[in-house]
Amino acid sequence: MTVTFPQKGLPWLLLLPQLLVTAIFFLWPAEQALEQAFYQEDAFGLSREFIGLENFIDLFTDPLYYQSMLTTLVFSFSVAIVGMSLALFLAVMADRVIRGKLAYQTLLIWPYAVAPVLAGVLWWILFDPSMGPIALWLKSAGVDWNHYLDGNQAMILVVIASTWKQISYNFLFFLAGLQAVPRSLIEAAAIDGASPFKRFWTIVFPLLSPTTFFLLVVNLVYAFFETFGVIDATTKGGPGQSTTTLVYKVFDDGFVGLDLGGSAAQSVVLMAIVGLMTVIQFRFIERKVQYS
Amino acid sequence: MTDVILEKVGKTYPNGYQAIPSVDLSIEEGEFIVLVGPSGCGKSTLLRMVAGLESISTGELRIRGERMNEKEPAERDIAMVFQNYALYPHMSVYDNMAYGLKNRGIAKNLIEEKVSDVAKMLGLTELLQRKPRQLSGGQRQRVAMGRAMVRDPKVFLFDEPLSNLDAKLRVQMRVEIRQLQRKLGTTTLYVTHDQVEAMTLADRLVVLNKGKAEQIGTPMDLYNKPATPFVAAFIGSPSMNLIDATLTEQGVKISEALTLPLSHQHRGDIVWGIRPEHLEVSDEQNGDFALRIQAVESLGAETLIHGKIETESANGESMVVRLSGPHLPDVNSLMWLTAPMSHWHLFDAKTQQRL
Repeated sequence: MTVTFPQKGLPWLLLLPQLLVTAIFFLWPAEQALEQAFYQEDAFGLSREFIGLENFIDLFTDPLYYQSMLTTLVFSFSVAIVGMSLALFLAVMADRVIRGKLAYQTLLIWPYAVAPVLAGVLWWILFDPSMGPIALWLKSAGVDWNHYLDGNQAMILVVIASTWKQISYNFLFFLAGLQAVPRSLIEAAAIDGASPFKRFWTIVFPLLSPTTFFLLVVNLVYAFFETFGVIDATTKGGPGQSTTTLVYKVFDDGFVGLDLGGSAAQSVVLMAIVGLMTVIQFRFIERKVQYS
Repeated sequence: MTDVILEKVGKTYPNGYQAIPSVDLSIEEGEFIVLVGPSGCGKSTLLRMVAGLESISTGELRIRGERMNEKEPAERDIAMVFQNYALYPHMSVYDNMAYGLKNRGIAKNLIEEKVSDVAKMLGLTELLQRKPRQLSGGQRQRVAMGRAMVRDPKVFLFDEPLSNLDAKLRVQMRVEIRQLQRKLGTTTLYVTHDQVEAMTLADRLVVLNKGKAEQIGTPMDLYNKPATPFVAAFIGSPSMNLIDATLTEQGVKISEALTLPLSHQHRGDIVWGIRPEHLEVSDEQNGDFALRIQAVESLGAETLIHGKIETESANGESMVVRLSGPHLPDVNSLMWLTAPMSHWHLFDAKTQQRL
């Protein structure tokens, strides 16, 4: 349906607030970053010098950058796979619950409403090596937990904290997906002699594949770009570089290391990655498998 | 040989709602039984109980002498065709049909053989590699039947399989289902709300009303000797004219002015019935009563005339008359009719049983 406005100005006026927000908080900084990526700036921002692609050349010859890229990949896929598996498991369980269904569903949605930094702080406290209840329990069980010293443990901690926040979102989509699977298909499979386990893997799970693919992209984007708060509140990218994801590195190099040009070059690379993922998301999700 | 026995089978839901009080039914091997009734009469519930998709609250279900109440659907050796076909949308036609066989661990080459045999029988050979969404309604229906047939089960269960098809295809598939069932000789339980489907398919019909079997019998039994006014009204189209009356010494008293002579032992309130096709056009001397015509439906091969029995007190009973061939009486004119006694149906108004 097309709505026609009498004046040409009104539609623009209605769009203006959103356009302003986009311009001030997205387009302008993006343009700044693009520009800055080609300059070298002094630490106080007083003078700068055009250096062409040198920031990019530095970036792609820096082994630490590749290290961070690898860290990001490990981190993102861990978050996506752990988060989605747990959410799917919970959704299957919640779908079966008959009594108190709404209570379970509501409780499982709560973590999504918690701010990233709070989630980070929460897990940071729980896992604090000297006083965190989980860390103490792990110690009593013989695991020497100290994520300040052990890079792998730090990675596990940020994965747990980030996953926990994202499970709610995944859960909601999986639950909706499960409820959209026609009951008669499950019944037909039961009559066809498939065990509940087999019914899930041969009928339900394939029918969930559009949801699963959508969530995979959303989770990867989340882990790539939206976990700064969690990482900053728990490990601050450490120990060493072990939890420094690409996004955290932009912040670390730019605002802690004060290499603004290099940091800008990194943001430009990230922008390209976001663009690519958006294209993938639209190309594949728009064309998602249609079942009649 | 008796194949399927339902003995006082009942269904009460956890919330206390009794969907089916108690149904007794024994089905012979190879018999085609149709469960028919209005929506909400419990016919689908009963079918799902036989399938094992609903638990049986009371009574016992036996297939080939074996108690089935606690058996899983897969262990009952039944196959079901669902109203929406329930084809697995992500699998090809071949895989849809092979799924049940694969789950039972049957050898691959045997599966191929069985699927291609059934596909040939149903004219699906060309479509085996297609996905369900690439098929027409009629083709999906065939695949659903193929999936049931390929397993060669003891019992076929059909849950309103034709209700999603258009009228023409429905008639065609109806004939096909009947032919296939005859050929395979598989005991079949078929649920429908369509009485034409029920009459044409069934060896025996079960008319269900509020979870109770009102009558079980061959289509002609039910047509000729309906046990209750419900069955009388449900079987036949247009449905039987049923009129509240009183049985007196003089006969069936329909109104103060109109009594149809009959000698019968029974006295009291009854329901008097006659089918529209059994009323005959007559004249003023020989007619039993006159009908004030209200509407005429000409269908070419037959004509349906709707009217009211003419009485002094303007509120006569409604009646439908079915005449073969075209007739064009004037609306509001009078039409004299005779109701041959051999076609009367009398029911006790209180017990609702046939007299």
